Amino acid sequence: MSKRGPYPFQYGLDQQQDEATPRQWRSLDEYANAKEFKEALAREFPDGASELNGSSRREFIQLMGASVALAGLAGCRRPEEKILPYTRRGDTLVEGRPLWFSSVVPFYDTAIGVTVESHEGRPTKIEGNEKHPDSRGATTAFVQAQVLDLYDPDRSTAPREKDRVANWEEAIDALRKLGAAQKDKKGKGFAVLTEAHRSPTTQAQLDELKKQLPEAKVVRYSPFSRWASREGAKLAFGQALDAVVHVEKAKVLVALDSDFLHNESSPVKNARAFADGRRLGDGAKSIQNRLYAVEAAFTVTGASADHRLRASSRDIGRIAAAILAEVGGGGAGAQLDAKAQRFVKAMAKDLASAKGESLVLCGDNQPPAVHAIVHAINHALGNVGKSVEYVKPFSTDAEGPAAIVELAKAMSSGEIDTLLILGGNPVFDAPADADFAAALGKVKTSIHLSHYVDETSKACGWHLNRAHWLEQWSDARTDDGTAAIGQPLIAPLHGGKTDAEVLDRLLGGQRTAYQLVQATWQGQTAINFAKVWRKALHDGVIDGSAAPRVTPSAPGAAPALPPRFDGIEVVFAPDSHAYDGRLANNSWMQEMPDQMTKVTWDNAALMSPATFRKLALKQDGSWVEITVGGPNQKKVKLPALRTPGVAEDTIVVTVGQGRTAELKVGKGKGFDTYPLRTSTGFGFAAATASKVSGGAYDLAQTQEHHVMEGRPLVREANLTKFRSNAKFAKEPDAHNPELLSLWKEHEYTGHKWSMVVDLQSCIGCNACMVACQAENNIPVVGKSGVLMGREMHWMRIDRYYTGDDMEDPQAVMQPLMCQHCENAPCEQVCPVGATTHSPEGLNDIAYNRCIGTRYCANNCPYKVRRFNFFNYNKDMNELRTMQYNPEVTVRTRGVIEKCSYCVQRIQRAKIDAHRAGQQKVADGSFQVACQQVCPTRAISFGDLNDKESVVAKAAALPQQYQLLAELNIKPRTNYLARVRNPNPELG
Amino acid sequence: MASEKIDNTYEDPTHRAPLVLGEDGSFQAVSDRISSVVEVPIKKTAKPWVLLLLMALSGLALLGGALTDLIVTGNILPGNPSGPAGGAGTGRWGLNHPVGWAWDITGFVFWIGIGHAGTLISAILFLFRQKWRTSINRAAEAMTLFAVVSALLYPTVHVGRVWFLYWVFPIPNQMGAWPNFRSPLAWDFFAVSTYGTVSLLFWFVGLVPDLATIRDRATNKIRAVIYGIFALGWRGSARHWVHYERAYLILAGLSTPLVLSVHTIVSFDFATSVIPGWHTTIFPPYFVAGAVFSGFAMVQTLMLIARKAYGWENLITLRHVENMNKIMMATGTMVGYAYGMEFFIAWYSGNEYEGFAFINRAFGPYSWAYWTMVSCNVFFPQLFWFKGVRTSLGASFVLSIIVNIGMWFERFVIIVTSLHRDFLPSSWGYFRPTVTDIATFIGTFGLFFTLFLLFIRVLPAIAISEVKGILPQADPHHHDDHAHGKEAAHG
Repeated sequence: MSKRGPYPFQYGLDQQQDEATPRQWRSLDEYANAKEFKEALAREFPDGASELNGSSRREFIQLMGASVALAGLAGCRRPEEKILPYTRRGDTLVEGRPLWFSSVVPFYDTAIGVTVESHEGRPTKIEGNEKHPDSRGATTAFVQAQVLDLYDPDRSTAPREKDRVANWEEAIDALRKLGAAQKDKKGKGFAVLTEAHRSPTTQAQLDELKKQLPEAKVVRYSPFSRWASREGAKLAFGQALDAVVHVEKAKVLVALDSDFLHNESSPVKNARAFADGRRLGDGAKSIQNRLYAVEAAFTVTGASADHRLRASSRDIGRIAAAILAEVGGGGAGAQLDAKAQRFVKAMAKDLASAKGESLVLCGDNQPPAVHAIVHAINHALGNVGKSVEYVKPFSTDAEGPAAIVELAKAMSSGEIDTLLILGGNPVFDAPADADFAAALGKVKTSIHLSHYVDETSKACGWHLNRAHWLEQWSDARTDDGTAAIGQPLIAPLHGGKTDAEVLDRLLGGQRTAYQLVQATWQGQTAINFAKVWRKALHDGVIDGSAAPRVTPSAPGAAPALPPRFDGIEVVFAPDSHAYDGRLANNSWMQEMPDQMTKVTWDNAALMSPATFRKLALKQDGSWVEITVGGPNQKKVKLPALRTPGVAEDTIVVTVGQGRTAELKVGKGKGFDTYPLRTSTGFGFAAATASKVSGGAYDLAQTQEHHVMEGRPLVREANLTKFRSNAKFAKEPDAHNPELLSLWKEHEYTGHKWSMVVDLQSCIGCNACMVACQAENNIPVVGKSGVLMGREMHWMRIDRYYTGDDMEDPQAVMQPLMCQHCENAPCEQVCPVGATTHSPEGLNDIAYNRCIGTRYCANNCPYKVRRFNFFNYNKDMNELRTMQYNPEVTVRTRGVIEKCSYCVQRIQRAKIDAHRAGQQKVADGSFQVACQQVCPTRAISFGDLNDKESVVAKAAALPQQYQLLAELNIKPRTNYLARVRNPNPELG
Repeated sequence: MASEKIDNTYEDPTHRAPLVLGEDGSFQAVSDRISSVVEVPIKKTAKPWVLLLLMALSGLALLGGALTDLIVTGNILPGNPSGPAGGAGTGRWGLNHPVGWAWDITGFVFWIGIGHAGTLISAILFLFRQKWRTSINRAAEAMTLFAVVSALLYPTVHVGRVWFLYWVFPIPNQMGAWPNFRSPLAWDFFAVSTYGTVSLLFWFVGLVPDLATIRDRATNKIRAVIYGIFALGWRGSARHWVHYERAYLILAGLSTPLVLSVHTIVSFDFATSVIPGWHTTIFPPYFVAGAVFSGFAMVQTLMLIARKAYGWENLITLRHVENMNKIMMATGTMVGYAYGMEFFIAWYSGNEYEGFAFINRAFGPYSWAYWTMVSCNVFFPQLFWFKGVRTSLGASFVLSIIVNIGMWFERFVIIVTSLHRDFLPSSWGYFRPTVTDIATFIGTFGLFFTLFLLFIRVLPAIAISEVKGILPQADPHHHDDHAHGKEAAHG
């Protein structure tokens, strides 16, 4: 490195930092040519980078910009990584101070931009990227948990040829030979199976492959993707298109079996827009949108809806057809029962009154025909180009369940003899009628690139270990095409490679992931690539990369719907823990309770109490056998769970659990329901269900009582009531006389930290729970621990069913963490004074002082204090310990722990303010973990003494209330009551 | 006289029935009868005693196993979950969130309650000149001490980090870290330790003349020396007796408020909290009544066995049995009143959480425990209204055990049913004991009985000097009374 001369990238050096408008990261234009960074130029990417404020941020940009600029200019030079001793570190790196890097997480046919916190080179926490349009600072629980996957000790550490552990040299050799052989055959008999990936770099490699091997087949398959929507667009408009929805532009929203706030489309973006449209603050007395949910399962979206209609998934198509007819989109409509008819009429009227400002969404589990109808509805409502836009699909490769079945057939018939599988786990998750395992057995050469030696890897000739997105350079586009670069936070722990790298090796190349990603973008940038690149890395998003909008032609006649079947239907949904199976080995996800059922570590057959009775089942956990399909009947036995709100004669099962691969956490957890899922019944299917005798299975739920017992816990009202009495939430406390205190209370002359939780915004997605777990080193206790009632989560989301009909209730969510009472019952009873009040109003615990009497936990009316019944961190895998946040004590056996209001973040902000010469921490200069991750911005945190702060203003809103305030414990956490916006016609 | 059965439970308004019947009218016989238990050579120890001691020691061994399982290694006892990597921890018990206390504090309050009878008998009945107490006070005080030891075991081992328990003590240290004097657990420490200390002193002072008796009767050197040391040079002079009586009276006066204060403060653990079902002002008197209730039941159980085993029927007479039964009936009715009043206040307060807590107690998942408690503590003691039951040894024994069971359940009901369903339905849970829970509880009985059996073997279990003082023949009018007594007995 030192032999090189200075590099000629001197542009934009003179710009000054704009201190007045703090941003997450400075523009890369601020790259400075400071001499002391010449050293750092050699590095591929610096071990340390940005800090959020002050001069060090500037230095980070210098370092960052320098290194990437170098890399960009160095062209084909193989990037080198050198380790500098801490005695010769760059100025940005201060031990004990974290750094943040932008990256991007591909997930569910889209992607989300993130910034990753790194401590001394270890990524420890994923946070949303404010600048990324699909994140805006927030993420989902699935994304939060992925940092734990990086350090999963079960990850594959080396390529394998059958059962023999090989190395990458051999693997690359085999790939090259394979590629060369295929070139002779023009790829005849060769197929590549990819996930529903969103990486332009991978796609570029695939396109190159198709060019060099024109006979080769490329198939995309993921168990959950927007395939049906694209197919539906093809049916409606004559071309496959990706819908990009703009929830913020819709005043009337209809979700047809669509969990668009949580699991489908771009959930984080959608949830934010949805919540923004109904925030009641600062004198706003109106809700801008109204959500109708028509669904079979009770989803997070359904719980957030103003109106919810229970309908079987098989009936959604006919309901859509009825809506289409009602809004004047043509078609004959459909015969519905009286309740549905009334609902649809009112809903369609509401939709029609908001033409161009409405939006109908269709769930992924619906077949393309229903999607086509929904596309037509949006077209008829004039929403196209407004609340819904269309873009060309990311890839034109064959996709969907039929494509993989076709591939499997070709494999069985010998037509395909060589298969390269990039990611995914088709042996586990392909449609049952593909019989992928058997087909794979017939293939002569099979290679699987995967994070784990999983079900598919075991059945393949070669297994190649895949690099985690936190370990390698990558890129990904969101649903509207906006791209971001994924930068690695750590060198590959086990030397894994990316999809693009493997394809490159196959085609005889030897480029690194870094070069491949750069090559992709270099080709697409007119001038000054280095500058664009640096800005992309810095911002975490590539400006102007969104796909051009396509205006589709008027839809044709609505396609015919298949005839309705009677009896039981089974509906497939992604598992809230394992997703499609990929997160099955993630203990945070496994222990995170399902949003609605609060089940951990398992999946179950969810059905309404009436269906439960119809099947003559005795108790939750009773076994039920579900059978699907005609000649090749598939049966799965799993425990039943009564779930209010699920449609009659519908059984909802999640897929993704029941892994059989050697996964220490995930193996044998839950039940594999993929055998029920076929390419024809991909979203839902006709099924029969019968009781199986033999006791009951223990389902570990974190909440076992589901109604509020008439207590004023979650306070909610309709919009009309709110308008007439904005202070309705204070009514339950109104009769209380002034309550006195036994002793002189704290005065809080400095900061007065407080949290406000807006129940109006909270959708109950659980992202905060996992973020809290990642931030605060919260242990998992396993299924047996949850069964004993010993889960350790510092915050939980209570879900209560409301309404009189327990078959068809509404649901409300309430995040609950330590309320930091000013007159805290826990503080008074601790015999050793281990939990005390800080002058800023925090209820602190000195873990060192705690002897573990548990008296405080008993006396906590919110039951948020958690006891370490065992040493849950005992014998922890060394790799796993790398994830720990070094700013938070890892607790030992026998001590109490609970939400600290992220005291470590408060302290860091105070130190930073002090160093910057400020008297007080400025509002918004830091966020607590749950606040940061929240897609709907339901949580605000700050200083109540600062009257201009967001939190002080929120706490002063009329709908503010405090939970259990009548106990005179003076909780510091405030809640904002929930207000629904029902259609007066539906009452 | 001894050969004739005298019914001293008979109430003749003109003549006082004898408090004790004595042994053949001889003071010497009383000394012989009581001391012989202590003086038997080791090899001639009564077989039943050895058998009982072996059983108690098994219980003690079980306690050792349970505590090792709990604190040191984990996984010794079967059938209960462990941490992810195995190992010991409070989780070896069945506790959870929200039930942070269950069998541990139930056991603590249970044993502390049992300890109450000792001080009540020795101090309050002494001040009220209830002389019948002398036959049972020694054993009752010993029982108190051993019950306090068993009770203290629980708060000691129930904390998460046993090795830092000493932080509860107000030990001056360079960090200036003191206990939190606002915490009822800190009050507990002072209350129970004071109680234990005073009870020990009281018991020991009362023992001094009897230790001297054993010393004086000693036939071998070792016994004479050992008992001599503890007899503190007692010579039985009038001056000794004067000092002794004064000291005893002062200690009785000191102990009397402790009878009320200890369980009052133990009840504060609950009463000062915010949890519905705990947060009630009735707790102090209710707990004291309950403690006396359970204490007498335990004395009854133990004394009925001892009097049979050692032939002390003339010292611990049927009248004693009946008196204790009467006290049990009275205190049982008091706790019954408290149960009813709790319900009334829960309704009358109009507090929905309080109201729910009590309805949940009686009809919720733990209703089986609640109705066990009510039957054992309120319904069954009402049988004592019948003299036939009161004076039947078998019935007394069975009922004393029933009361002990009921009082254990009372503490369980108060602690667990209040915790398992409090304010937020989302966090409601259910507690199930584990093998370690059960082993610990049985183990405390092992500890208690081991200590008690050793006590009976090495110390005079009945206050020799005091009993002699209330023998019929110690009364100057003995012969008159005797005649009448005989008449009454036959009449």
